[in-house]
Amino acid sequence: MPAVLGFEGSANKIGVGVVRDGKVLANPRRTYVTPPGTGFLPGDTARHHRSVILDLLQEALTEAGLTSQDIDCIAYTKGPGMGAPLVSVAVVARTVAQLWNKPLLGVNHCIGHIEMGRLITGATSPTVLYVSGGNTQVIAYSERRYRIFGETIDIAVGNCLDRFARVLKISNDPSPGYNIEQMAKRGKKLVELPYTVKGMDVSFSGILSFIEDVAQRMLATGECTPEDLCFSLQETVFAMLVEITERAMAHCGSHEALIVGGVGCNMRLQEMMETMCQERGARLFATDERFCIDNGAMIAQAGWEMFQAGHRTPLSESGVTQRYRTDEVEVTWRD
Amino acid sequence: MQALEDDARGATNGAGGLGNQQSPQTPEGRSSGSLEVKGDHSGPEGQGGPGSEGAVAEAAVAPPQVEQAPRALGPAGDAAPVAVGPGSELLEFTLTVPFRSPLEADMARRSLIPVARRHQGVVQESTVNGSALAVRWTAEDPILFRTAINSFLDHLSLVIRNIRRLRPRLP
Repeated sequence: MPAVLGFEGSANKIGVGVVRDGKVLANPRRTYVTPPGTGFLPGDTARHHRSVILDLLQEALTEAGLTSQDIDCIAYTKGPGMGAPLVSVAVVARTVAQLWNKPLLGVNHCIGHIEMGRLITGATSPTVLYVSGGNTQVIAYSERRYRIFGETIDIAVGNCLDRFARVLKISNDPSPGYNIEQMAKRGKKLVELPYTVKGMDVSFSGILSFIEDVAQRMLATGECTPEDLCFSLQETVFAMLVEITERAMAHCGSHEALIVGGVGCNMRLQEMMETMCQERGARLFATDERFCIDNGAMIAQAGWEMFQAGHRTPLSESGVTQRYRTDEVEVTWRD
Repeated sequence: MQALEDDARGATNGAGGLGNQQSPQTPEGRSSGSLEVKGDHSGPEGQGGPGSEGAVAEAAVAPPQVEQAPRALGPAGDAAPVAVGPGSELLEFTLTVPFRSPLEADMARRSLIPVARRHQGVVQESTVNGSALAVRWTAEDPILFRTAINSFLDHLSLVIRNIRRLRPRLP
Protein backbone atom coordinates (compact mmCIF):
# COMPACT_ATOMS: atom_id res chain seq x y z
CA MET A 1 0.00 0.00 0.00
CA PRO A 2 2.33 2.76 -1.14
CA ALA A 3 1.87 6.27 0.21
CA VAL A 4 2.94 9.19 -1.95
CA LEU A 5 3.70 12.73 -0.81
CA GLY A 6 2.94 15.38 -3.44
CA PHE A 7 4.15 18.98 -3.71
CA GLU A 8 2.24 21.51 -5.83
CA GLY A 9 3.24 25.14 -6.32
CA SER A 10 3.01 26.07 -10.00
CA ALA A 11 0.95 29.22 -9.43
CA ASN A 12 -0.19 31.14 -6.37
CA LYS A 13 -1.37 28.10 -4.43
CA ILE A 14 1.14 25.95 -2.54
CA GLY A 15 -0.06 22.56 -1.36
CA VAL A 16 1.38 19.38 0.12
CA GLY A 17 -0.77 16.24 -0.07
CA VAL A 18 -0.53 12.61 0.95
CA VAL A 19 -2.36 9.85 -0.92
CA ARG A 20 -2.33 6.13 -0.22
CA ASP A 21 -4.19 3.63 -2.33
CA GLY A 22 -6.80 6.04 -3.56
CA LYS A 23 -7.36 7.71 -0.21
CA VAL A 24 -6.43 11.34 0.45
CA LEU A 25 -4.83 11.33 3.88
CA ALA A 26 -3.85 15.01 3.96
CA ASN A 27 -4.15 18.04 1.71
CA PRO A 28 -3.20 21.34 3.39
CA ARG A 29 -2.80 24.39 1.16
CA ARG A 30 -1.95 28.08 1.30
CA THR A 31 -2.82 30.78 -1.23
CA TYR A 32 -0.73 33.83 -2.02
CA VAL A 33 -3.29 36.64 -2.26
CA THR A 34 -2.34 40.04 -3.65
CA PRO A 35 -4.15 43.35 -3.16
CA PRO A 36 -7.16 44.21 -5.38
CA GLY A 37 -6.17 45.48 -8.78
CA THR A 38 -2.93 43.49 -8.83
CA GLY A 39 -1.83 40.06 -9.93
CA PHE A 40 0.81 37.72 -8.51
CA LEU A 41 4.35 37.98 -9.84
CA PRO A 42 6.69 34.97 -10.07
CA GLY A 43 9.37 36.21 -7.66
CA ASP A 44 6.93 37.28 -4.96
CA THR A 45 4.95 34.07 -5.35
CA ALA A 46 8.07 31.95 -5.03
CA ARG A 47 9.08 33.90 -1.92
CA HIS A 48 5.68 33.15 -0.41
CA HIS A 49 5.97 29.46 -1.21
CA ARG A 50 9.48 29.24 0.27
CA SER A 51 8.24 30.80 3.49
CA VAL A 52 5.43 28.30 4.10
CA ILE A 53 6.35 25.05 2.38
CA LEU A 54 8.22 23.43 5.26
CA ASP A 55 5.38 24.17 7.68
CA LEU A 56 2.92 22.75 5.17
CA LEU A 57 5.01 19.61 4.86
CA GLN A 58 4.90 19.09 8.59
CA GLU A 59 1.18 19.81 8.62
CA ALA A 60 0.59 17.20 5.92
CA LEU A 61 2.48 14.51 7.78
CA THR A 62 0.70 15.31 11.02
CA GLU A 63 -2.71 15.32 9.37
CA ALA A 64 -1.97 12.01 7.66
CA GLY A 65 -0.59 10.52 10.87
CA LEU A 66 2.52 9.40 9.02
CA THR A 67 6.27 9.72 9.38
CA SER A 68 8.95 9.85 6.73
CA GLN A 69 9.33 6.11 6.96
CA ASP A 70 5.72 5.61 5.87
CA ILE A 71 6.19 7.60 2.66
CA ASP A 72 7.20 5.58 -0.38
CA CYS A 73 7.67 8.28 -3.00
CA ILE A 74 8.00 12.04 -3.33
CA ALA A 75 6.07 13.62 -6.22
CA TYR A 76 6.33 17.24 -7.30
CA THR A 77 4.96 19.44 -10.07
CA LYS A 78 7.44 19.43 -12.90
CA GLY A 79 5.30 21.81 -14.98
CA PRO A 80 3.64 23.62 -16.59
CA GLY A 81 3.48 26.79 -14.56
CA MET A 82 5.40 29.82 -13.37
CA GLY A 83 9.13 29.28 -13.31
CA ALA A 84 10.23 30.69 -9.98
CA PRO A 85 7.49 29.01 -7.88
CA LEU A 86 8.05 25.70 -9.67
CA VAL A 87 11.77 25.85 -8.92
CA SER A 88 11.28 26.64 -5.25
CA VAL A 89 8.98 23.70 -4.73
CA ALA A 90 11.17 21.33 -6.74
CA VAL A 91 14.18 22.23 -4.59
CA VAL A 92 12.32 21.09 -1.49
CA ALA A 93 11.09 17.92 -3.18
CA ARG A 94 14.65 17.02 -4.15
CA THR A 95 15.98 17.71 -0.69
CA VAL A 96 13.25 15.69 1.01
CA ALA A 97 13.75 12.79 -1.40
CA GLN A 98 17.45 12.71 -0.55
CA LEU A 99 16.97 13.16 3.19
CA TRP A 100 14.44 10.36 3.36
CA ASN A 101 16.08 8.27 0.63
CA LYS A 102 12.87 7.99 -1.39
CA PRO A 103 12.36 7.95 -5.15
CA LEU A 104 11.37 11.20 -6.83
CA LEU A 105 8.66 11.72 -9.46
CA GLY A 106 8.07 14.79 -11.61
CA VAL A 107 4.38 15.12 -12.40
CA ASN A 108 2.54 17.03 -15.12
CA HIS A 109 0.23 19.51 -13.38
CA CYS A 110 -2.61 18.99 -15.86
CA ILE A 111 -2.48 15.24 -15.42
CA GLY A 112 -2.59 15.80 -11.68
CA HIS A 113 -5.93 17.53 -12.10
CA ILE A 114 -7.27 14.77 -14.35
CA GLU A 115 -6.19 11.91 -12.11
CA MET A 116 -7.60 13.59 -9.02
CA GLY A 117 -10.86 14.24 -10.87
CA ARG A 118 -11.09 10.61 -11.90
CA LEU A 119 -10.31 9.42 -8.38
CA ILE A 120 -12.80 11.64 -6.59
CA THR A 121 -15.69 11.32 -9.05
CA GLY A 122 -15.22 7.77 -10.27
CA ALA A 123 -15.61 8.85 -13.90
CA THR A 124 -14.30 6.07 -16.13
CA SER A 125 -13.35 7.66 -19.43
CA PRO A 126 -14.71 11.19 -19.57
CA THR A 127 -14.14 14.08 -21.90
CA VAL A 128 -12.29 16.46 -19.61
CA LEU A 129 -12.75 20.22 -19.54
CA TYR A 130 -9.66 21.53 -17.78
CA VAL A 131 -10.12 25.20 -16.93
CA SER A 132 -7.92 27.26 -14.66
CA GLY A 133 -6.00 30.50 -14.46
CA GLY A 134 -3.17 29.03 -16.47
CA ASN A 135 -4.75 26.41 -18.70
CA THR A 136 -7.85 25.84 -20.82
CA GLN A 137 -8.02 22.50 -22.59
CA VAL A 138 -10.54 19.89 -23.67
CA ILE A 139 -8.92 16.51 -23.20
CA ALA A 140 -9.81 12.89 -23.81
CA TYR A 141 -7.81 9.74 -23.21
CA SER A 142 -6.79 7.62 -26.13
CA GLU A 143 -4.04 5.06 -26.55
CA ARG A 144 -1.77 5.92 -23.65
CA ARG A 145 -2.07 9.70 -23.99
CA TYR A 146 -4.34 12.42 -22.70
CA ARG A 147 -5.06 13.98 -26.08
CA ILE A 148 -5.85 17.67 -26.39
CA PHE A 149 -8.91 18.06 -28.59
CA GLY A 150 -9.32 21.77 -28.14
CA GLU A 151 -7.72 24.59 -26.20
CA THR A 152 -7.28 28.29 -25.87
CA ILE A 153 -5.14 29.82 -28.57
CA ASP A 154 -4.09 32.67 -26.30
CA ILE A 155 -4.90 33.14 -22.62
CA ALA A 156 -6.65 30.77 -20.22
CA VAL A 157 -10.25 31.45 -19.27
CA GLY A 158 -9.23 31.90 -15.64
CA ASN A 159 -6.61 34.43 -16.68
CA CYS A 160 -9.31 36.34 -18.55
CA LEU A 161 -11.51 36.39 -15.45
CA ASP A 162 -8.65 37.29 -13.11
CA ARG A 163 -7.45 40.17 -15.27
CA PHE A 164 -10.99 41.50 -15.63
CA ALA A 165 -11.27 41.41 -11.84
CA ARG A 166 -8.23 43.71 -11.68
CA VAL A 167 -9.97 46.25 -13.92
CA LEU A 168 -12.86 46.45 -11.47
CA LYS A 169 -10.51 46.22 -8.47
CA ILE A 170 -12.40 43.14 -7.29
CA SER A 171 -10.79 41.48 -4.27
CA ASN A 172 -8.44 38.54 -4.87
CA ASP A 173 -9.51 36.96 -1.57
CA PRO A 174 -10.24 34.07 -1.67
CA SER A 175 -9.87 34.29 -5.45
CA PRO A 176 -10.94 36.82 -8.11
CA GLY A 177 -12.93 34.14 -9.95
CA TYR A 178 -14.98 33.34 -6.87
CA ASN A 179 -15.79 37.01 -6.31
CA ILE A 180 -16.75 37.47 -9.96
CA GLU A 181 -19.09 34.50 -9.58
CA GLN A 182 -20.79 36.04 -6.55
CA MET A 183 -21.19 39.39 -8.31
CA ALA A 184 -22.51 37.68 -11.45
CA LYS A 185 -25.37 36.20 -9.45
CA ARG A 186 -26.63 39.76 -8.98
CA GLY A 187 -26.24 40.72 -12.63
CA LYS A 188 -29.42 41.55 -14.54
CA LYS A 189 -28.34 42.78 -17.94
CA LEU A 190 -26.49 40.80 -20.59
CA VAL A 191 -23.90 42.96 -22.31
CA GLU A 192 -23.03 41.59 -25.72
CA LEU A 193 -19.38 40.57 -25.91
CA PRO A 194 -17.34 38.97 -28.69
CA TYR A 195 -17.89 35.23 -28.90
CA THR A 196 -14.73 33.58 -30.17
CA VAL A 197 -14.87 29.86 -30.82
CA LYS A 198 -12.55 28.74 -33.57
CA GLY A 199 -13.41 25.16 -34.45
CA MET A 200 -12.24 23.09 -31.52
CA ASP A 201 -10.37 26.02 -29.98
CA VAL A 202 -11.28 29.21 -28.13
CA SER A 203 -9.79 32.66 -27.77
CA PHE A 204 -10.17 34.96 -24.76
CA SER A 205 -7.67 37.78 -25.28
CA GLY A 206 -10.01 39.70 -27.58
CA ILE A 207 -12.92 39.40 -25.16
CA LEU A 208 -10.69 40.68 -22.38
CA SER A 209 -9.50 43.63 -24.45
CA PHE A 210 -13.07 44.45 -25.40
CA ILE A 211 -14.50 44.29 -21.91
CA GLU A 212 -11.56 46.23 -20.46
CA ASP A 213 -12.31 48.92 -23.01
CA VAL A 214 -16.08 49.13 -22.58
CA ALA A 215 -16.18 48.58 -18.81
CA GLN A 216 -15.05 52.04 -17.79
CA ARG A 217 -17.26 53.75 -20.36
CA MET A 218 -20.42 51.79 -19.60
CA LEU A 219 -19.95 52.03 -15.87
CA ALA A 220 -19.34 55.76 -16.06
CA THR A 221 -22.50 56.34 -18.10
CA GLY A 222 -24.56 54.00 -15.99
CA GLU A 223 -25.38 51.73 -18.90
CA CYS A 224 -24.62 48.74 -16.74
CA THR A 225 -23.34 47.75 -13.32
CA PRO A 226 -20.17 45.83 -12.42
CA GLU A 227 -22.46 42.90 -11.62
CA ASP A 228 -23.88 43.02 -15.15
CA LEU A 229 -20.37 42.89 -16.60
CA CYS A 230 -19.41 39.92 -14.41
CA PHE A 231 -22.57 38.14 -15.45
CA SER A 232 -22.05 38.90 -19.14
CA LEU A 233 -18.42 37.78 -19.12
CA GLN A 234 -19.25 34.49 -17.42
CA GLU A 235 -22.17 33.74 -19.70
CA THR A 236 -20.07 34.40 -22.79
CA VAL A 237 -16.90 32.53 -21.92
CA PHE A 238 -18.69 29.61 -20.30
CA ALA A 239 -20.93 29.17 -23.33
CA MET A 240 -17.79 28.96 -25.46
CA LEU A 241 -16.35 26.28 -23.21
CA VAL A 242 -19.58 24.27 -23.27
CA GLU A 243 -19.57 24.43 -27.06
CA ILE A 244 -16.07 23.06 -27.54
CA THR A 245 -16.62 20.40 -24.90
CA GLU A 246 -19.78 19.25 -26.60
CA ARG A 247 -17.97 19.17 -29.93
CA ALA A 248 -15.27 16.93 -28.47
CA MET A 249 -17.87 14.67 -26.86
CA ALA A 250 -19.65 14.31 -30.16
CA HIS A 251 -16.38 13.48 -31.90
CA CYS A 252 -15.47 10.83 -29.31
CA GLY A 253 -18.97 9.50 -28.73
CA SER A 254 -18.42 10.21 -25.06
CA HIS A 255 -21.13 9.87 -22.41
CA GLU A 256 -19.16 11.43 -19.57
CA ALA A 257 -17.79 14.91 -18.99
CA LEU A 258 -15.45 15.87 -16.17
CA ILE A 259 -14.61 19.45 -15.17
CA VAL A 260 -11.26 20.01 -13.44
CA GLY A 261 -9.20 23.07 -12.60
CA GLY A 262 -9.88 26.10 -10.44
CA VAL A 263 -12.52 27.58 -12.75
CA GLY A 264 -14.32 24.23 -12.50
CA CYS A 265 -15.47 25.27 -9.02
CA ASN A 266 -17.77 27.81 -10.65
CA MET A 267 -21.35 26.67 -10.12
CA ARG A 268 -22.67 28.55 -13.16
CA LEU A 269 -20.19 26.71 -15.40
CA GLN A 270 -21.24 23.43 -13.84
CA GLU A 271 -24.88 24.34 -14.37
CA MET A 272 -24.34 25.12 -18.06
CA MET A 273 -22.31 21.96 -18.59
CA GLU A 274 -25.01 19.93 -16.83
CA THR A 275 -27.65 21.30 -19.19
CA MET A 276 -25.55 20.32 -22.20
CA CYS A 277 -24.86 16.85 -20.80
CA GLN A 278 -28.52 16.23 -20.07
CA GLU A 279 -29.43 17.20 -23.63
CA ARG A 280 -26.93 14.64 -24.87
CA GLY A 281 -27.81 11.91 -22.39
CA ALA A 282 -24.39 12.22 -20.84
CA ARG A 283 -23.26 12.46 -17.22
CA LEU A 284 -21.36 15.38 -15.73
CA PHE A 285 -18.70 14.97 -13.04
CA ALA A 286 -17.12 17.74 -11.02
CA THR A 287 -15.25 18.11 -7.71
CA ASP A 288 -15.43 20.71 -4.98
CA GLU A 289 -12.91 23.43 -4.17
CA ARG A 290 -10.68 21.03 -2.20
CA PHE A 291 -9.66 19.25 -5.38
CA CYS A 292 -10.66 21.65 -8.19
CA ILE A 293 -8.23 24.29 -7.06
CA ASP A 294 -4.53 23.44 -7.30
CA ASN A 295 -3.57 21.15 -4.43
CA GLY A 296 -0.84 18.77 -3.33
CA ALA A 297 -3.00 15.68 -3.20
CA MET A 298 -3.63 15.75 -6.95
CA ILE A 299 0.12 15.64 -7.55
CA ALA A 300 0.37 12.83 -5.01
CA GLN A 301 -2.41 10.92 -6.75
CA ALA A 302 -0.89 11.24 -10.20
CA GLY A 303 2.45 10.37 -8.63
CA TRP A 304 0.88 7.31 -7.04
CA GLU A 305 -0.33 6.08 -10.43
CA MET A 306 3.04 6.75 -11.99
CA PHE A 307 4.90 5.11 -9.11
CA GLN A 308 2.81 1.97 -9.40
CA ALA A 309 3.49 1.90 -13.14
CA GLY A 310 7.24 2.04 -12.49
CA HIS A 311 8.00 5.67 -13.32
CA ARG A 312 10.92 7.35 -11.56
CA THR A 313 12.62 10.70 -12.04
CA PRO A 314 16.38 10.67 -11.44
CA LEU A 315 17.76 13.66 -9.57
CA SER A 316 19.73 14.65 -12.65
CA GLU A 317 16.44 15.00 -14.58
CA SER A 318 14.41 16.60 -11.80
CA GLY A 319 14.22 20.08 -13.23
CA VAL A 320 11.05 21.99 -14.00
CA THR A 321 9.59 23.22 -17.25
CA GLN A 322 7.20 26.08 -17.70
CA ARG A 323 5.79 24.58 -20.87
CA TYR A 324 4.80 20.96 -20.41
CA ARG A 325 2.05 19.72 -22.66
CA THR A 326 -0.58 17.34 -21.33
CA ASP A 327 -0.04 15.00 -24.25
CA GLU A 328 3.72 14.77 -23.70
CA VAL A 329 3.26 12.21 -20.95
CA GLU A 330 2.91 8.55 -21.77
CA VAL A 331 0.07 7.35 -19.59
CA THR A 332 1.35 3.86 -18.91
CA TRP A 333 -0.94 3.30 -15.93
CA ARG A 334 -4.05 3.08 -18.12
CA ASP A 335 -4.90 0.63 -20.85
CA MET B 1 32.64 25.97 15.28
CA GLN B 2 36.04 27.75 15.06
CA ALA B 3 37.41 24.91 12.98
CA LEU B 4 34.47 25.30 10.62
CA GLU B 5 35.16 29.02 10.32
CA ASP B 6 38.83 28.40 9.55
CA ASP B 7 37.95 25.85 6.90
CA ALA B 8 35.36 28.19 5.41
CA ARG B 9 37.84 31.04 5.09
CA GLY B 10 39.89 28.87 2.79
CA ALA B 11 37.59 29.74 -0.07
CA THR B 12 39.24 29.62 -3.42
CA ASN B 13 39.47 32.41 -5.92
CA GLY B 14 38.96 32.20 -9.63
CA ALA B 15 42.61 31.75 -10.47
CA GLY B 16 42.94 28.79 -8.18
CA GLY B 17 39.79 27.05 -9.33
CA LEU B 18 37.46 25.12 -7.14
CA GLY B 19 38.87 22.40 -5.02
CA ASN B 20 42.00 24.24 -3.89
CA GLN B 21 41.95 24.82 -0.15
CA GLN B 22 44.23 27.82 0.12
CA SER B 23 45.32 29.63 3.23
CA PRO B 24 43.30 32.73 4.06
CA GLN B 25 44.06 35.60 1.70
CA THR B 26 43.64 39.26 2.27
CA PRO B 27 41.60 41.27 -0.20
CA GLU B 28 44.81 43.00 -1.23
CA GLY B 29 46.07 39.72 -2.59
CA ARG B 30 43.28 39.49 -5.14
CA SER B 31 42.47 41.18 -8.40
CA SER B 32 40.90 44.59 -8.25
CA GLY B 33 37.35 44.89 -7.00
CA SER B 34 37.52 41.88 -4.69
CA LEU B 35 35.25 41.66 -1.69
CA GLU B 36 35.59 39.21 1.13
CA VAL B 37 32.68 38.67 3.44
CA LYS B 38 33.26 36.66 6.56
CA GLY B 39 31.57 35.99 9.82
CA ASP B 40 28.16 34.80 10.88
CA HIS B 41 25.79 34.64 7.94
CA SER B 42 22.17 33.94 8.60
CA GLY B 43 21.20 33.42 4.99
CA PRO B 44 18.90 35.60 2.92
CA GLU B 45 15.79 34.44 4.69
CA GLY B 46 17.02 35.10 8.17
CA GLN B 47 17.50 31.51 9.17
CA GLY B 48 20.74 30.17 10.48
CA GLY B 49 21.80 26.84 9.12
CA PRO B 50 24.66 24.49 8.70
CA GLY B 51 26.48 27.20 6.80
CA SER B 52 25.74 30.05 9.18
CA GLU B 53 28.99 29.99 11.09
CA GLY B 54 31.46 30.49 8.36
CA ALA B 55 30.12 30.97 4.86
CA VAL B 56 32.60 32.95 2.87
CA ALA B 57 31.79 34.86 -0.26
CA GLU B 58 34.21 36.55 -2.59
CA ALA B 59 33.50 38.69 -5.58
CA ALA B 60 36.04 39.81 -8.09
CA VAL B 61 36.21 41.55 -11.40
CA ALA B 62 38.85 39.73 -13.34
CA PRO B 63 41.08 41.68 -15.73
CA PRO B 64 40.23 41.22 -19.38
CA GLN B 65 41.44 37.92 -20.64
CA VAL B 66 41.88 37.36 -24.31
CA GLU B 67 44.43 34.65 -24.79
CA GLN B 68 43.52 32.35 -21.95
CA ALA B 69 39.80 31.68 -21.79
CA PRO B 70 38.71 30.43 -18.35
CA ARG B 71 37.34 26.97 -18.35
CA ALA B 72 34.06 26.43 -16.56
CA LEU B 73 32.91 23.20 -15.01
CA GLY B 74 29.30 22.19 -15.38
CA PRO B 75 27.47 20.33 -12.68
CA ALA B 76 28.59 17.02 -14.06
CA GLY B 77 32.21 18.09 -14.13
CA ASP B 78 32.42 18.53 -17.88
CA ALA B 79 34.61 21.37 -19.05
CA ALA B 80 33.34 24.01 -21.43
CA PRO B 81 35.36 27.05 -22.48
CA VAL B 82 33.90 30.49 -21.76
CA ALA B 83 34.89 32.98 -24.43
CA VAL B 84 35.79 36.46 -23.23
CA GLY B 85 36.20 39.07 -25.92
CA PRO B 86 38.71 41.94 -25.81
CA GLY B 87 37.64 44.83 -23.59
CA SER B 88 35.01 42.87 -21.67
CA GLU B 89 35.24 42.05 -18.00
CA LEU B 90 34.38 38.74 -16.50
CA LEU B 91 32.57 38.97 -13.19
CA GLU B 92 33.32 36.27 -10.67
CA PHE B 93 31.88 35.32 -7.31
CA THR B 94 32.82 32.42 -5.08
CA LEU B 95 31.02 31.08 -2.05
CA THR B 96 31.91 28.36 0.40
CA VAL B 97 29.28 26.99 2.74
CA PRO B 98 30.23 24.52 5.47
CA PHE B 99 27.81 21.74 6.33
CA ARG B 100 27.81 19.21 9.12
CA SER B 101 28.95 16.39 6.85
CA PRO B 102 30.04 15.68 3.28
CA LEU B 103 26.72 13.92 2.81
CA GLU B 104 24.71 17.03 3.63
CA ALA B 105 26.95 19.21 1.48
CA ASP B 106 26.47 16.89 -1.47
CA MET B 107 22.76 16.70 -0.80
CA ALA B 108 22.54 20.49 -1.00
CA ARG B 109 24.60 20.55 -4.17
CA ARG B 110 22.35 18.02 -5.89
CA SER B 111 19.21 19.83 -4.79
CA LEU B 112 20.51 23.11 -6.22
CA ILE B 113 22.10 22.02 -9.51
CA PRO B 114 18.89 22.35 -11.56
CA VAL B 115 18.44 25.88 -10.17
CA ALA B 116 21.69 26.88 -11.88
CA ARG B 117 20.67 25.48 -15.23
CA ARG B 118 17.90 28.05 -15.55
CA HIS B 119 20.28 31.00 -15.74
CA GLN B 120 21.60 31.44 -19.25
CA GLY B 121 24.70 33.52 -19.63
CA VAL B 122 26.03 32.63 -16.19
CA VAL B 123 28.40 29.76 -15.55
CA GLN B 124 28.05 28.16 -12.17
CA GLU B 125 30.46 25.55 -10.88
CA SER B 126 29.85 23.69 -7.67
CA THR B 127 31.80 21.07 -5.86
CA VAL B 128 32.00 19.51 -2.42
CA ASN B 129 35.30 19.81 -0.56
CA GLY B 130 35.10 17.79 2.61
CA SER B 131 31.99 19.06 4.35
CA ALA B 132 31.87 22.33 2.44
CA LEU B 133 29.90 23.22 -0.65
CA ALA B 134 31.98 25.49 -2.87
CA VAL B 135 30.30 27.45 -5.65
CA ARG B 136 31.70 29.82 -8.23
CA TRP B 137 29.86 32.00 -10.70
CA THR B 138 31.29 33.72 -13.74
CA ALA B 139 29.44 35.97 -16.15
CA GLU B 140 29.84 39.06 -18.28
CA ASP B 141 26.41 40.53 -17.75
CA PRO B 142 26.12 42.05 -14.26
CA ILE B 143 22.35 41.79 -14.15
CA LEU B 144 22.29 38.09 -15.04
CA PHE B 145 25.19 37.60 -12.62
CA ARG B 146 23.32 39.20 -9.75
CA THR B 147 20.06 37.40 -10.55
CA ALA B 148 21.71 34.00 -10.65
CA ILE B 149 23.53 34.49 -7.36
CA ASN B 150 20.49 35.90 -5.59
CA SER B 151 18.36 33.01 -6.78
CA PHE B 152 20.95 30.53 -5.59
CA LEU B 153 21.17 32.15 -2.17
CA ASP B 154 17.39 32.14 -1.77
CA HIS B 155 17.27 28.44 -2.54
CA LEU B 156 20.36 27.64 -0.50
CA SER B 157 18.65 29.15 2.50
CA LEU B 158 15.60 26.98 1.83
CA VAL B 159 17.71 23.84 1.52
CA ILE B 160 19.55 24.61 4.75
CA ARG B 161 16.28 25.13 6.60
CA ASN B 162 14.92 21.96 5.05
CA ILE B 163 17.91 19.90 6.15
CA ARG B 164 17.82 21.32 9.65
CA ARG B 165 14.16 20.48 10.09
CA LEU B 166 14.20 17.05 8.59
CA ARG B 167 17.67 15.64 9.02
CA PRO B 168 17.48 12.17 10.52
CA ARG B 169 18.99 11.63 13.91
CA LEU B 170 22.42 10.19 13.34
CA PRO B 171 23.67 7.45 15.69
